[in-house]
Amino acid sequence: MIDAAPPPEHSLPALYREHRGWLETWLRRRMGNAWDAADLSQDTFLRILASAQPLADIREPRAYLLTVGKRLLSNFHQRRSLERAYLDALAQLPEQHVPSPEQRWVLLETLQALDELLDGLKAPVRKAFLWSQLEGLGYAEIGKRLGVCERSVKRYMAQAYEHCLLAEL
Amino acid sequence: MTTHSPETREALRAAARWLALVDSGGASEGDLLRLAQWRASSSLHEGAWQKALLLRQRFSGLPGALAMATLDRPDVGRRALLKQALGVAALLPAAWLVSRELPLDAWTADMRTAVGERRQVLLSDGTFVQLNTDSAVDIDLSARRLTLLRGEVAVRVPGNLSLALQVPYGQVALGAGDFSAGELCLRLVDQACRVSVVKGAASLQPLRGPALLLQAGQQASLQAGGVGPVTGLDEWLLGWREGVLRLDDRPLGELLHELRRYRPGVLRWAPELEGLRVTGTFRLDDTDRVLALLAASLPLQVQARTRYWVSLTARENRA
Repeated sequence: MIDAAPPPEHSLPALYREHRGWLETWLRRRMGNAWDAADLSQDTFLRILASAQPLADIREPRAYLLTVGKRLLSNFHQRRSLERAYLDALAQLPEQHVPSPEQRWVLLETLQALDELLDGLKAPVRKAFLWSQLEGLGYAEIGKRLGVCERSVKRYMAQAYEHCLLAEL
Repeated sequence: MTTHSPETREALRAAARWLALVDSGGASEGDLLRLAQWRASSSLHEGAWQKALLLRQRFSGLPGALAMATLDRPDVGRRALLKQALGVAALLPAAWLVSRELPLDAWTADMRTAVGERRQVLLSDGTFVQLNTDSAVDIDLSARRLTLLRGEVAVRVPGNLSLALQVPYGQVALGAGDFSAGELCLRLVDQACRVSVVKGAASLQPLRGPALLLQAGQQASLQAGGVGPVTGLDEWLLGWREGVLRLDDRPLGELLHELRRYRPGVLRWAPELEGLRVTGTFRLDDTDRVLALLAASLPLQVQARTRYWVSLTARENRA
């Protein structure tokens, strides 16, 4: 009965047992630290667990894991850079304006979500959008800062709104 | 994910253009009238417009300077390059996909448990089978054979019956030729099966090498090439049958290794914690509570990123 067992890749536990160590090693070489690599390999499997992709359809598990893992690694660097910028900004705030630990956490999560939403926008489009939304700058002022005409700013804004709305679909 | 109609996408694009126009402050009376008409002309349009307003709302109310410094950080542009360097693909190439008709081995087992689950069944002949967390067995009553595919199983057979237990490294015969009831526990560990005989006697037959008779109160490791040394039972490792682990002054590392088996997701701990001594009775049906108990009684703290990702670290002594 045991001899006749089919190839073991087709359930998540099997996938996990077979390839987790390998994926962690791959990630550790790129991240330089075992804890983060373990975190990320875990996230990779969670992502696969949550995906609509039927496991039985995966013919090359390692190639598949790498695809998911690479995407998460890229997101990881993005999150890291965001966290660093956030902490730096917090450190600049005067004592009485520093949010409570709970608020800080909620805010970080909110910013992470928005960061992901904006991901992929060209730099001037992103800047124009942030200036308008977060600082309430008018199109004329944004145009001056970017060195473009107001009409371009309007086009940037439409692009940014469209990008976010379609990303949320 | 569901696919969205081209009409939905087009409505969202239009809503984005309208909102950019309204935001500009340069919309004329005529523009606003046309916007009102556009919204009224279709529920799809009105829905898209509401989504656009909601999106704008997500950015309002954020502390401006903090959000700006975070979202407009200088290295944003570099990330696009990084993505390119990593070769992140947006979609999976179809070549990795095959038909869905492949079987799933563990699902065909007669009895299986998920991580954290325990099950027991009383078979028609009086044989009692208990399955521990993340385990699977095939039971063939007509051949009086049980095959352990994964994890851990405990079996009790009535005095007049025998049972052959198949594991990847050999076979265990319980209650053969003697009239006392037999009870044992099998657990697959790294390249071996640990056999613990609670009552009666069992014969261990490795794939290669001579058989060995194990008496009640003894345990041994059955490997493909032979049977490992015979020792007394590790009683506390059998406690799962009653849903508890009872420890009397044992290293914390041993308890954590056991607990890990019952938790979906990951449980990690700092290596220096392993040597802490622990005594107590811990219920397996609520391992979160066990961790909380440990944190309350030992110098360690529990950091839970999510329910499925928990790390234990040493607690710093505060004066």
